[in-house]
Amino acid sequence: MTAHETSQTRIAPAWTQQLRALLRSQESVLLFITVIAVLILSTQTDKFLTVRNLLNQGRLMTEIGLIALPMTYIIVTGGIDLSVGSIAGLSAIMLGYGWYNLGLPLELAIVLALVIGAIAGFANGLFIILFRVPPLIMTLATLAFYRGLAEGIAQARSVRDYPEWFYALGQRETLGIPNQLYFLVIAAIITAIILSRTTFGRSLYAIGNNELAARFSGIPVRRNKLIIYTLSGFMSGFAGYVLVSRVSTTRSDMGSGWELDAIAAVVLGGTSIFGGSGSIVGTMIGLVLIQLLKNGLALTGVTGDATIVVIGSVLILSTLINSVIQRRVEGL
Amino acid sequence: MQPPILELNHITKTFPGVTALDDVHFDIRPGEVHALLGENGAGKSTLIKVASGVYEPDSGEIIVEGQPVRFGSPRDAQAHGIATIYQELLLYPELSVAENIFMGHAPRTRLGAIDWATMRSRSLEILASLNIDDMDVTRKVGSLTVGNRQRVEIAKALSMNARVLIMDEPTAAITESDVERLFSIIELLKQRGVGIVYISHRLNEVFDIGDRVTVLRDGRYIATEPVDQMTEDKLVSMMVGRTIDNLFPKLDAPIGKVVLEVRNLTRKRVAHDVSFQLREGEIVGMAGLVGSGRSEIAQVIFGFTPAHAGSILIDGREVRITTPGQAMRYGIAYLPEDRGTQGLIRQMDLRANTSITVLRALSRATFINRHKETQLAYSTIEQLSIRAYGPQQLVGKLSGGNQQKVVVGKWLATRPRVLIVDEPTRGIDVGAKAEIHRLMSELAQQGMAILMISSEMPEILGMSDRILVMREGRLVAEFSRAEATQENIGLAMMGDIGNNGKSVNSQLDGVEWQA
Ligand SMILES: Nc1ncnc2c1ncn2[C@@H]1O[C@H](COP(=O)(O)OP(=O)(O)OP(=O)(O)O)[C@@H](O)[C@H]1O
Ligand SMILES: [Mg+2]
Repeated sequence: MTAHETSQTRIAPAWTQQLRALLRSQESVLLFITVIAVLILSTQTDKFLTVRNLLNQGRLMTEIGLIALPMTYIIVTGGIDLSVGSIAGLSAIMLGYGWYNLGLPLELAIVLALVIGAIAGFANGLFIILFRVPPLIMTLATLAFYRGLAEGIAQARSVRDYPEWFYALGQRETLGIPNQLYFLVIAAIITAIILSRTTFGRSLYAIGNNELAARFSGIPVRRNKLIIYTLSGFMSGFAGYVLVSRVSTTRSDMGSGWELDAIAAVVLGGTSIFGGSGSIVGTMIGLVLIQLLKNGLALTGVTGDATIVVIGSVLILSTLINSVIQRRVEGL
Repeated sequence: MQPPILELNHITKTFPGVTALDDVHFDIRPGEVHALLGENGAGKSTLIKVASGVYEPDSGEIIVEGQPVRFGSPRDAQAHGIATIYQELLLYPELSVAENIFMGHAPRTRLGAIDWATMRSRSLEILASLNIDDMDVTRKVGSLTVGNRQRVEIAKALSMNARVLIMDEPTAAITESDVERLFSIIELLKQRGVGIVYISHRLNEVFDIGDRVTVLRDGRYIATEPVDQMTEDKLVSMMVGRTIDNLFPKLDAPIGKVVLEVRNLTRKRVAHDVSFQLREGEIVGMAGLVGSGRSEIAQVIFGFTPAHAGSILIDGREVRITTPGQAMRYGIAYLPEDRGTQGLIRQMDLRANTSITVLRALSRATFINRHKETQLAYSTIEQLSIRAYGPQQLVGKLSGGNQQKVVVGKWLATRPRVLIVDEPTRGIDVGAKAEIHRLMSELAQQGMAILMISSEMPEILGMSDRILVMREGRLVAEFSRAEATQENIGLAMMGDIGNNGKSVNSQLDGVEWQA
């Protein structure tokens, strides 16, 4: 009846509406900032805008990227995972330890590293759903715990001299593109499709917006939380493996600080830290922007400290723009 | 006649896609109750949000005691003596009663620190002036019943010396005894010269306490009349623009075999030893005071808070239900009582809200079929006459009654065998209410078993084949449709007051402590 009619008479055609929504989305704002940043940086140094440099940056950002993908899921549900860097470190150590000290075949040691990552994430999730520990507290505790575990196992020794094939993932290219970048792109596409198109993805948004109502609607809230924290652990483990393969050695401080880089990419990408909204596309743009800024500024001779200041400012700026847009949309 | 304290003239307010108010007039005089009526989505809440500074009107003027004013924020309106109790109560659950009453304008000591002692004693004074002397002002508001929270809101309004008190559907979520108390407070405020704006979908209340009534329809001003020159039929026809039957007669349905049976169902502290059966085609009403364990028993059956003892049988076979998902697979649906926190995801759109209970059926290999999802949204909008600009409208931006319709829609979409509804028509206008009753009746005719929890006696009496009464977590009485009367149900709800020496009030307090 009337509702159906009004939708056609009072509202502009659907596609112009969609176009406007697209232009106003955080993703497009961010893409715009990224393009501007690239243009400015490329005028400052001619080493920046080269295929070689850009591909190399892609190589460097892969590990954080692999972690930022499941981090997006977690933040969309209103949670957080601070232990990702420590899990990456633990997995990296277990890889070297399993191969060198336990004498496992390297293939098996890799699997061990991934499984350990998944278990570490599963443990986070289990505590969060069973004992209702807030994710911030739980993963802050395991941030310390898993790192301590890694250091205890490593005993300040590092493992190196892996067989040549092991470096293929981290240091070689296929068709001119760094190998690990394929994994990142494929993982990004899969996680993006799951989040935006499937019942599982929809449930994550529902949980983030109103967990109680999600439970009352029959959504398996606890199961889905367990899945995403486990996935986060697994991907952290995988990122640890990629890192070892890239830098040829295993050390117990690997991955420290990664949680902040990953969270920054996610939040810069428009995912609300309070949960309920966000996208993988946004996270990927956020990731790229941060990496390009780091690299571009370093090439122009800006020091590390100043770089951090610039990245912080971009984060604040994009959040501001987003909230202004948001308020306009809500018509207040 | 006294001049008005507050006048709204030629108010127009549009939202993207909707004209919520179109050249509307409204005024309020000291010491009167001015009722504001209209269908769901007519613009009532929007009008009072203009009056209380939440929205600025697109055009029109606001006049306080003869002076034109502009309200840039709710604070401005409060400074002019206009206080509002919104449809969704806005207290801070983690703060105490006194802190809530003085939120934003706490008394200070000379050093600028909050003067806690004065705050507590002033709170007690204000409450006492409303004849409320049974409230502990140091208690957290979150632990109070809705009726008590509402009294805190009123006290808060008075603490700011309000001359106009606006109440948006204050009786939608409180018990009958709370309603009586509210009315005596309103009487008290009238005598003090406070002007009261009163929104409700219960017309009898308007006749009980209203002095004048203004009717809105589709965002347009229809008329303002003295209440004593009105009849219920006249009001309804002004609201909907035609005459309608505002009571839907229940249809007879063939009663079949038992679908759901619960035996000795117990959950510590909320429900004890509850046993009953539900048959195909049957509508069973469940009456009881707020906190008597009605919602709790429903949530046990639905697997939200699983039972500690007892059993649930579906088609005569015992089942174990520990999550809502399992209950849904057995064909049980539960429409929860509080749409804001339990029923809806307000930040998501209408489409996502109606489909959330049936996502699996709308998807292939977990990929959601957007087209089917949109179709479902359109058919829900049509079936329940939801006033929305389309499936993409955020549910939080629908009017209160239309939000409730979305909750009804999302559970009907599951096509359950057993439908448990908890206050299904809360906040829904007279016409739509009859429509939902007709729908329930038809579903029963098609063989659905319905358990209807309701605090509205006419709804219970009008719709039920059988009536169960709960008190303090126990099933205390059962009446057939023929036996049931307002009196015997009421008595069963209250319990035998003389015998165990408890007053109704102390029982309520006990209940509150549990909640
Ligand atoms: N913030 C908003 N954004 C968009 N539309 C809105 C907003 N607030 C209200 N509306 C629309 O304005 C119209 C009037 O809504 P309002 O809440 O005033 O109705 P109401 O008379 O209070 O109804 P109810 O009896 O259901 O509470 C509705 O169509 C509603 O969808
Ligand atoms: Mg309203």
